[in-house]
Amino acid sequence: MANVLWLQGGACSGNTMSFLNAEEPTVIELVTDFGVNILWHPSVGLEIGEQVTDLMNDLIKGKKQLDIFVFEGSIVQGPNNTGTMNYFCDRPMKDWVKELAAVAAYTVAIGDCATWGGIPAVPPNPSESTGMQFHKQKLGGFLGANYKSKGGLPVINIPGCPAHPDWITQILVAISTGRIKDVLIDEYHRPKTFFTDFVQTGCPNVNNFAQKIDGHFGKRGGCLFYEVGCRGPMTRASCNRILWNRQSSKTRVNHPCLGCTEPGFPHHDLVKGSVFKSLKYLGFLPQDVPTGEGRLKYYIRAGWEKILPTNKALKETSK
Amino acid sequence: MVKELNISPVGRVEGDLDVKVYIENGVVTRAHTQAAMFRGFEKIMQGKDPQSGLIVTPRICGICGGSHLYCASSALDTAWKTQLPPNALLLRAIGQATETIQSIPRWFYAIFATDMANKKFANKPLYQEVAKRFSAYVGTSFQTGVVASGRPVEVYALFGGQWPHSSYMIPGGVMCAPTLKDITRAHAIMNQFRNDWLEKVWLGCSIERYLQIKSWDDMMAWVEENESQRNSDLGLFIRAGLQFGLDKFGQGVGKFLAYGTYLHKDKYNRPTIEGRNEALISSSGFFDGKNYHVFDHKQVMEHVKHSWYADVPASHPWDEPMPTPLPSQNLMETKFDGKYSWAKAPRYMGYSAEAGPLARVVMNANPANKSHQIQDPLFGDIIQKLGPSVFTRVLGRMHEAPRLYEFINQWLTQIDLDAEFYIKPQEIDGQGFGATEAARGALAHWIEIEGGVIKNYQVIAPTTWNVGPNDEQGNPGPIEAALTGIEIEDPHDPVEVGIVARSFDSCLVCTVHAHNGKNGEKLKSFKL
Repeated sequence: MANVLWLQGGACSGNTMSFLNAEEPTVIELVTDFGVNILWHPSVGLEIGEQVTDLMNDLIKGKKQLDIFVFEGSIVQGPNNTGTMNYFCDRPMKDWVKELAAVAAYTVAIGDCATWGGIPAVPPNPSESTGMQFHKQKLGGFLGANYKSKGGLPVINIPGCPAHPDWITQILVAISTGRIKDVLIDEYHRPKTFFTDFVQTGCPNVNNFAQKIDGHFGKRGGCLFYEVGCRGPMTRASCNRILWNRQSSKTRVNHPCLGCTEPGFPHHDLVKGSVFKSLKYLGFLPQDVPTGEGRLKYYIRAGWEKILPTNKALKETSK
Repeated sequence: MVKELNISPVGRVEGDLDVKVYIENGVVTRAHTQAAMFRGFEKIMQGKDPQSGLIVTPRICGICGGSHLYCASSALDTAWKTQLPPNALLLRAIGQATETIQSIPRWFYAIFATDMANKKFANKPLYQEVAKRFSAYVGTSFQTGVVASGRPVEVYALFGGQWPHSSYMIPGGVMCAPTLKDITRAHAIMNQFRNDWLEKVWLGCSIERYLQIKSWDDMMAWVEENESQRNSDLGLFIRAGLQFGLDKFGQGVGKFLAYGTYLHKDKYNRPTIEGRNEALISSSGFFDGKNYHVFDHKQVMEHVKHSWYADVPASHPWDEPMPTPLPSQNLMETKFDGKYSWAKAPRYMGYSAEAGPLARVVMNANPANKSHQIQDPLFGDIIQKLGPSVFTRVLGRMHEAPRLYEFINQWLTQIDLDAEFYIKPQEIDGQGFGATEAARGALAHWIEIEGGVIKNYQVIAPTTWNVGPNDEQGNPGPIEAALTGIEIEDPHDPVEVGIVARSFDSCLVCTVHAHNGKNGEKLKSFKL
């Protein structure tokens, strides 16, 4: 049994919508079968007005136990660090977050805005947004590099824009069933179980990547890495292993991976020429290369493949 | 004696809505809505890649992301003067429709109907049955409805990769090139949605039978036609809604605005702003309570007199200067004769207008609709006989589900697997306008591209129409108007306020989201 409070700051509610798509378990099964007790949630909570304020005050004073504090959305600090661009229950949301994070057994940041600031933190960052414990790649964020919840862990980051429902439900279940010790976290505080493999793992175009066969919008087959900015080889996430909405994934429908589970999304801060186009050096060398591969080593390896004749059988596609 | 009641948050609207109401003898005499969060998305896009809106705007709102994408791609289509193949228009319409039909059961069970199980209605004869079915989590229809709501977006994922937050609609078409497997699977998923929820739980009859209803009298006859229809969730909602008096409050301003949506596959292959109205399947328009007016986006103006931005005259989105945010206050300390919300106040021909499914079904009843457009007199009749209310608003939204189911199936059959899905456009400077109907109403984007980057990007979301504050003349927004006159039984549980706000399916993340921030520093130029 675990008491969960879920709040939203500078949020679009996308992670909540994703969470509501959950299967095995569904959100309802989470409540009825897995002992997750949702104290309040902005989209499904029954309480309104002062009832919510009272609940939060009870948690902060320890009258009620807060086992899991889930936060969705950026921490809005503007203007001038007052946080008054995001009021909640008559106070800046950031003030509630500080006090609730201090009493929570575990604190979970869901989605890119809560983990590292996300789109609201793109320059000029009009709302002075940041993440719970990271600002883009930099450790610190709102709660500071040294923050640990009462359970002894830093903020558990479940990134993604949005996060996949399985990533959310499995962490909630791990905590509520006492298996949190099985959750290892990486340098960005992401659970390794979901964020070790790359999006490219399980992508149906991986042969085309190896053979340097280009893909294009509205066409079947080909790899989207070379021309339209796919970040599958640079992005750790299980999208192509577990699929989305039980059906598909971006790269399976010819949609370049946007790299949304890595800090820094949207990458290159949306500068001219970076949206659905691969940035190039000298007009032909990809600026971003697969994670773990040095640029020069990649150019040599890829250049070799590029000059060899491609396997024609791999170019065949069918409606 | 006038009592003031501050409600922060209202809850179960997407995002944070705060409301202040003034109560005299238990009746609300005046109401103010406060949108309490600011992110400045439009400001973030200024100076960026012209296609930034395809990635950024779906993320304004996780619940209407496909609708923002529909607008963002359309705005670029008009600015870049693209060509759109029929397949692209079909796949975009399918994306929009699956997102909207997803929202129907999700909104009804998770957001709205749990309030009908509130103790306020405990003395009503149908309360037991309502509580049994609609109570949060444990209601017998709650899980069925919420789980069913995930099915249509599986179809979205077949073409867009995932829902929410795909960017598969792009100027010139769509990214995907589906195969026969995708089409077959999409039909099968929609059939399951119909079998599991739409016909079995919601209607208690076939879609074909339901769509024969053409008037309020037909609707009442349908309810009493047999046990199956009478005991369906729709049958129960109609009987309980009338018994609980949901038709007696939350009227609003009685004027409706729809931008329309679902651009016809053969009528918008050369996208222009002028050609849009004629190409719509669900028509656009403004209904002033008596007459229909042809929609013209130039009639839209935004007012900021009561919004936390420096004062500028009301203006059209293309002419709006970047607003300067001003210090905001919490609900308790806000002075409501001054500035009091992050939402602006949009007006059409100077009027406050309700956006949403009720506005759409009112436009569907416009006798001037063409043969390729929806022609459905039902809500013309219902608005005349019952007028707007919480009840008619809910009924209007739910009425769309059967028709959208039929459209999605029909559009799937029209996809030509041998034809094009995308025609690569030329990137040029210019102005664009893209619009649609999000689940909760009229949504539009205005873009201006100069020097190959975004110079201006303006979003007006449906909830901005509904939840916006007073305008320059002091006229209230639709929700403010709808709250006036309601009776609040228990100030500690002002469920009536929640019911009215939720009947509009308010989405504050959209509303607040979208306004421009402070004047940013000059952006660094891009170097390869």
